[in-house]
Amino acid sequence: MTTLRALWEVSLALCLLAVLALLVLLVARVLAARFSGRNSAARRRLLPLLLDGDPATLEPLGRAELQVAADLTIELAEMTRGSERDALLARAASLGVVDLLVKRMRSRSPQTRLFAVEALSLFDDAREKVVGALDDRNPDVRLGAALALARYREAPAALTIVNKLNVREEENSLLLVSLMIDLVETNSEAVAGLLFEKDLSNRVKVAAMDALAERGGEYAPLLAYMARDSEGEPDLQPRIYRALGKTGHPIGAEAIFEGLGSASWTVRAAAAEAVGRARLAAAADRLSALLEDPNYWVRYRASEALLRIGPTGIKALREASDSEDPVVRTAAVKMLAEGRAR
Amino acid sequence: MIEFAISDPSAWMVLSAESIAAVVIVAGLLQIVFYFVLLLYAGAALGTRPPVPRSATLWRRYSEQAPAISVLAPAFNEELTIVESTRSLLALQYPDFEVIVINDGSKDGTLARLIAEFGLEEVDRFVDRSVQHAHIRGFYASPRLPRLLVVDKENGGKADALNAGINCSRTALFCAIDADSILETDALLRVVRPFIDEPDLTIAAGGTIRIANGCKVDSGRITDIKLPRNFLALVQIVEYLRAFLMARVGLGKMQALTVISGAFGLFRRRHVIEVGGYSHGTVGEDMELVLKLHRLMRERKRDYRIEFIAEPVCWTECPDTLSVLGRQRARWQRGALECFVKHRNMLFNPRYGRIGMVGFGHILLVDVLGPLLEVLGYVLVPLLWALGLLALPWLLAFLAVTFMLGVFLSIATLVLEEIQLRRFPKARELAVLAVIAVVENFGYRQLSNLWRLQGWWQFARKQQSWGTMTRKGFSTS
Repeated sequence: MTTLRALWEVSLALCLLAVLALLVLLVARVLAARFSGRNSAARRRLLPLLLDGDPATLEPLGRAELQVAADLTIELAEMTRGSERDALLARAASLGVVDLLVKRMRSRSPQTRLFAVEALSLFDDAREKVVGALDDRNPDVRLGAALALARYREAPAALTIVNKLNVREEENSLLLVSLMIDLVETNSEAVAGLLFEKDLSNRVKVAAMDALAERGGEYAPLLAYMARDSEGEPDLQPRIYRALGKTGHPIGAEAIFEGLGSASWTVRAAAAEAVGRARLAAAADRLSALLEDPNYWVRYRASEALLRIGPTGIKALREASDSEDPVVRTAAVKMLAEGRAR
Repeated sequence: MIEFAISDPSAWMVLSAESIAAVVIVAGLLQIVFYFVLLLYAGAALGTRPPVPRSATLWRRYSEQAPAISVLAPAFNEELTIVESTRSLLALQYPDFEVIVINDGSKDGTLARLIAEFGLEEVDRFVDRSVQHAHIRGFYASPRLPRLLVVDKENGGKADALNAGINCSRTALFCAIDADSILETDALLRVVRPFIDEPDLTIAAGGTIRIANGCKVDSGRITDIKLPRNFLALVQIVEYLRAFLMARVGLGKMQALTVISGAFGLFRRRHVIEVGGYSHGTVGEDMELVLKLHRLMRERKRDYRIEFIAEPVCWTECPDTLSVLGRQRARWQRGALECFVKHRNMLFNPRYGRIGMVGFGHILLVDVLGPLLEVLGYVLVPLLWALGLLALPWLLAFLAVTFMLGVFLSIATLVLEEIQLRRFPKARELAVLAVIAVVENFGYRQLSNLWRLQGWWQFARKQQSWGTMTRKGFSTS
């Protein structure tokens, strides 16, 4: 009986506690609404200063207004470019925004730290402070700092960044590709060097390959070598074929043709896609053979590639459209129809 | 002593009454404890979630790497709203997406309106045949709108229409939605996050469904968030908060999510095809798909993640009459039972890890036993107490698990919402919802359990119909 009564009493206590907590939050919300009125007034006052003030005459703001100015600066910076943005940032720096952002980098909230890192990276003179965020305890803040520094060509060496990102747990984000693309702009050799690091994961290497592919044919021989070398890795090899196709360089042709005969359908489909991207007309016969592949994606990519490689491919599709095999015929007829509609 | 008790009829009756009450109270308490744990997990998940930037920042950060998405919108007899819904989908902020509207054999002018409004022409399309669906009658597209494809097919139900959409899509990810719901413009950018953060592991992700009744809608966008005046719609706002903010966020954090709402879910196409797409002949096709995905990955011993993200929002219109709401709830109950029975060998099966233990434990406790034991409690506990067979503490304990702790969980969810998300613009709205969280326990909750019992009955009789969901359409500003 004591337990049953205790259950009732505990339930009452929990209910009261929850109601009390909600009441406190409601009161906080009402008070915050009053402050939001002040914030709106501060925004109205600060907006012309940030857009049109003379940096030489601007004085550092008090704490409350500075918070508003920092948020406003970030919003405006996302909408402006070039000299307009430079002037905006100079005014914001005169108002003391940089100092506030540096303080925010020490916040307990990772969200606040990330915003501060991204905002600080906008200011030319403050980027060295962002480098410290590469050692932040939160992986999102570390990645945000790396992306920001790479965007402004002020990132440390590619391997240093990757090692910092992989502290505690491995970074798997697709944003690694964006990072590598920016890093390639400053030092493509260092990014290519990542491919030969034994301890690095495939995820990092694939991101590096995607980025190197953006440089056109320069790294095509290396990618062709990697494509062959990764045989038997059905998760990795398709990404390499896509990167190889993106380079559009004929030196990758042999490696791509080998991929068309892979046992893995994901590799065959990626190789067929690469043929289309690189417009390798010599692969027309091999692609025609893939129109009877048991996997739809292989048939689709092969027929699409035939369409993309031009007259030779279209001729092959026309021939296949008379095939007795309904699977081949459907792929060819439908893709020809799609080609006409494009 | 026991011999004496059993030989004494009155002692035997008291013992029986106490046993019944004990079963009801323990089952209720288990549910509450489970929900409490979910609440803690949800709090931890929201407190440690990655930073949630503004849409502009999201675009800058994700737009280069965001994988292409096919948005699948099945439509059946929706000529009044389909044009506006499609326009709203085409205006989504996402770098690479296509919208596939699947006209599921509508008997009204849904297809004609789409053709006329968007200047569509019949085209041909090379599509996959991996998953089963009814015959496709034609494809419609326009060179002016390369992102839009309309698929006209024979009627086969929502699951069948989604399967057709999956076969027609050419992207690695597809997003299943209801054509009559409204996706927030940045919802795709937000829900795709786990696919960017963990591209090799994530196979599905769900977003939040919110109730649009009472909100102002302009050109397929929510322009003013307001609470509805209808009591049933208000109660459902509290229910949806509990379901999404507490249960799904918590289960997602535990990696034991068993359902992603059919109104808004993002899936990796390859894995969905591996499990045969959406199942026909069930009213719980969204839940079943997630269970099939878990089963596939567990049985093949592959690492994977199925996530729930609280920030992306899909707005939907909820029923505001007792008859329509009752039919919906009975159907949901039936869907949960169908899934449970179909995959019952996963229950407490160590082979399926936390899905078998936590996910299926949750379904057993909440969906299978929950309504039966709660209704039994409503009928018997007060009656037995009135007959003098139960002492007052038994009645109080029953009230504690059914009413007081229910109120506590609802209010605690509102507290979590206010601390972490703050999606209600005015304090007054939060206060109204707090009142509703208390009031719903007296009358509505009991009625809801009766509807669920009705679902149980329909399930036992193998009834298959969906019933009619009458929608009034969003109010426009």
